[in-house]
Amino acid sequence: MGVASMLQIDEMLGDFNRMNKRQSLYQVLSFAMIVSSALMIWKGLMVVTGSESPIVVVLSGSMEPAFHRGDLLFLTNYKEEPVRVGEIVVFKVEGRDIPIVHRVIKLHEKEDGTVKFLTKGDNNNVDDRGLYAPNQLWLTKKDIVGRARGFLPYVGIITIFMNEYPKVKWAILSILAIFVLLHRE
Amino acid sequence: MSKKEEKSQPAEELVKVNKWDGSAVKHALDDAVKTCLLGDRPQLKEQFGLVNTRLALCALAVGVAIMAHAWDFTHPFPESRPVLLFSVLAYFALMGVLTLHSSFREKGTFAVAVQKDKERERLWEASSDMRKYDDKYLLTLSVRDSRNGSKRREQTSSKSCAAFIDQNGIVLDSQVANEVNRLYNSLAAEKKDK
Repeated sequence: MGVASMLQIDEMLGDFNRMNKRQSLYQVLSFAMIVSSALMIWKGLMVVTGSESPIVVVLSGSMEPAFHRGDLLFLTNYKEEPVRVGEIVVFKVEGRDIPIVHRVIKLHEKEDGTVKFLTKGDNNNVDDRGLYAPNQLWLTKKDIVGRARGFLPYVGIITIFMNEYPKVKWAILSILAIFVLLHRE
Repeated sequence: MSKKEEKSQPAEELVKVNKWDGSAVKHALDDAVKTCLLGDRPQLKEQFGLVNTRLALCALAVGVAIMAHAWDFTHPFPESRPVLLFSVLAYFALMGVLTLHSSFREKGTFAVAVQKDKERERLWEASSDMRKYDDKYLLTLSVRDSRNGSKRREQTSSKSCAAFIDQNGIVLDSQVANEVNRLYNSLAAEKKDK
């Protein structure tokens, strides 16, 4: 089995060595197009949902039993649909990059439309004031990444795994990249 | 054991493919046909117009994607929305054009050459088709007089790829050359009658 796989790599390398300039350029562009397509689909989702991160992975168990670690969440952030108490939102605290998925428990709204929220994880004993930035007691609209609209269970475990073991992530991505670059369509 | 074998003369290398990989076989045969067609015929000059168009479309699409990403990076999301919308639409439109180009204009063509005589200019095109789990390699050679605008004439050869590749996966250039010469001569001969 090992010998057979060596054979195929050999022939792929042979194929690769025989490529002329245009063919090599096309291989590189094909790879770039795969990456670009993924990027454009992500940006397209951003535009359609209005959220800067339309798909997030639940990282902690603070929303059990509703959401578990590793669940994938789909978010929207439409201006016409204001956030209400009881809804599950994803927010980012200023200065920290990690998105947090919790429920809105209090809300103050002024006449001019500005709102401030207080959130708490279902599985936590206290509200999130301990998580906010120093001197911040309330969240505002600009901290909100989006409201949860749908979810897929367990699918996000792969992302958590790849972030905990970045070497595995780079190894897998490199192998995929080499395969795409060497294999003719 | 199975590395690329080299003849005792350093000039040529035998091409070896994985005979069970349909697409590798087709590509290897296309390359062999192109070498045979253009190798001994200095009057045929290869044209890269089709390939260049495809490369340009790809490069343009990638450029749009890079620009969109850079813009979004420097102007965080809500402000970059119009630019992103335009880029996404442009990107997928370009992908559509690229697909149309490769399905309808290119259509399996892997070699285009121009033959310039004193009186006329002929455009030769070689294209091939080999369906997914099929062994039949359909090779089509066509010629068109680009100055008269006369009709495009073509000759097709449909043979099993096993006729050109031996048991070990080595491409038999002599067999390929026979086939290519047969098609070329029959097309060139018909021409002389006109």
